[in-house]
Amino acid sequence: MTAAGLDGRRALVTGASRGIGRAVAVALAAAGARVAVNYARSEAEAEATATTISAAGAEVEIVRADVSDGQAVAGMFDQLKRRWGGIDILVNNAAVTHDGFLMMLSEAAWDQVLATNLRGAFLCARHAVRSMIAGRWGRIVNVVSPAGMLGKDGAANYAASKGGLLSMGKSLAREVGRYGITVNAVCPGLVETDLIASMPAEMRRAYLRQIPLQRFGDADEVAAAITFLASEAARYITGATLTVDGGLTMI
Amino acid sequence: MNHTELKKRLKRLLVDGLKLEGVDPESIQDAAPIFVEGLGLDSIDALELVVLVEEQFNVVIPDEEVGKLAFASIDALAQYIAQQQRAQAAQGGA
Repeated sequence: MTAAGLDGRRALVTGASRGIGRAVAVALAAAGARVAVNYARSEAEAEATATTISAAGAEVEIVRADVSDGQAVAGMFDQLKRRWGGIDILVNNAAVTHDGFLMMLSEAAWDQVLATNLRGAFLCARHAVRSMIAGRWGRIVNVVSPAGMLGKDGAANYAASKGGLLSMGKSLAREVGRYGITVNAVCPGLVETDLIASMPAEMRRAYLRQIPLQRFGDADEVAAAITFLASEAARYITGATLTVDGGLTMI
Repeated sequence: MNHTELKKRLKRLLVDGLKLEGVDPESIQDAAPIFVEGLGLDSIDALELVVLVEEQFNVVIPDEEVGKLAFASIDALAQYIAQQQRAQAAQGGA
């Protein structure tokens, strides 16, 4: 039995083809879980993630679904129900951005971001909770953002979706606690991903000055926090937010 | 399964599934409200009942509106399940 005690648990990570989602999928598998790697468009990357996981000896399933699409989500959970009987752990990580100042934000830009980031998480949780109630054990971890707590100029839609995800999670935590299901949020700060790498040098330096730990984070460091919240050890933690940002926000 | 059998089974499910200690399934009245009054269950307990009913009777209770009607009483629930099963059988036969 691994330290995290996740042996045999069935986990679904949305948006697991790259970045934090991928790191979480790999980490949960290393902790003993069977992992479903969800992706919407990045098929090759999703398969690469799955290969990494199965190469390490863990059981993995690839499930394609655009989480903003209710039917696709229903199909994904049908697939997982047939394969594993349900899931025990859900990591709502799938997210998109479509930046712009609010005054100039198109309705489509608003809708797309809310649909994937917030509605998608709602749709997944709605299905996931059913099997978790049946098993009287569950872990839902929502990946939020400092933008969701503090706002972010040029990304009001993204910030709204993440702030909303935070409150949705807390509401759900109040509803399903009695069934042994915890619902928490992890708030990553600036994590070394393609997005950060493509940032202009001056911007990187400006950000680094604001981070007490003086560096950007690693996707694995965020994955570690999520794995902890999914573990047995975190069974008395619900409605909480674990911020992994090197001290950037201290919320 | 006939309607009486179904209702008996539902009462049993309610007591066992929601772990209602000391409640005799036979004492649950067909037309009495399941939630709030009656057995003193709050509406969150309904979630577990939804899951149990969906699994055991292979039906779907998709949302709040349907749930409210279906779970109004044992009678209402039995009726809903019977309706759903008839609809499924009709689809299967077509």
